[in-house]
Amino acid sequence: MTKHYNPFLQPNGNKPTCLEMLQLILDGEATPDQQDYFKVHMDKCMPCFKSYNLDMTIKELLKEKCCKDAVPTDLIEQIKIQIQISQNTAS
Amino acid sequence: MEETPKQNYSDREKNEIFNQEFLPHITSMYNFAFRLTLDRDDAKDLVQDTYLKAYRFIESFQKGTNAKAWLFRILKNSFINDYRKKTKEPSKVDYQEVETYYNSEDVDRQITPDLRVESLKDMIGDEISNALNSLDVDFRTVIILCDLEGFKYEEMAKILDIPIGTVRSRLHRARNLLKEKLSEYARSMGYKNSEL
Repeated sequence: MTKHYNPFLQPNGNKPTCLEMLQLILDGEATPDQQDYFKVHMDKCMPCFKSYNLDMTIKELLKEKCCKDAVPTDLIEQIKIQIQISQNTAS
Repeated sequence: MEETPKQNYSDREKNEIFNQEFLPHITSMYNFAFRLTLDRDDAKDLVQDTYLKAYRFIESFQKGTNAKAWLFRILKNSFINDYRKKTKEPSKVDYQEVETYYNSEDVDRQITPDLRVESLKDMIGDEISNALNSLDVDFRTVIILCDLEGFKYEEMAKILDIPIGTVRSRLHRARNLLKEKLSEYARSMGYKNSEL
């Protein structure tokens, strides 16, 4: 591995933008090599550091605020009844 | 999703798969349905339809594989085929524009300079949820799958029948739109605060 090795480099030689790297990191899609590279990069790149914190906060808030709806209590029962009916009709 | 050879399950096996592999995802399924339809009754019907279809086609499902992604795909297709038609015209997102945007040089431009972590932390009500719901359904969907449900890009590509590159670009665009919406809220909160 050379000093300038960039694990984000695409097969066609294209260098990814900061936001493209950030997205892979944020979504857990980056390889361990890419994660290490990004950690070092983030120390030198203020926009990346800021975006990372902002995007991570949004991701956490989405999970926290948008998954709270309780399933209607009778839904599972209704599904099971419907399946029972369809089985009886089929047989 | 890959075609799996048709399985041959006994009734007992079918019920086992249904109870042990399908039903545990009902909370995520209901949440997905609600975020798509934005209506609790429609969400309930959509989840019910999806589970009935899943049972009917259970022999296309290979025991022990990714049941959640399989169910989400059925739900998404049911929504497009049955619900979107009923409610309104399918939304038209200009994906060409999206790809161009994503590949353009100004992609690193900070579009929401006034949106800060601190202002997000002040959003303790329904702002985040409302901002998500305000997005066009195709953009909303990728955020739900990725950020709420934690699907990988590859799984999302299979659920949505689109290439991974499109998953990434759509997600990128969706997040920018969400940030724009959150910036609006942040600005209005700031405005109110300065009035006090």
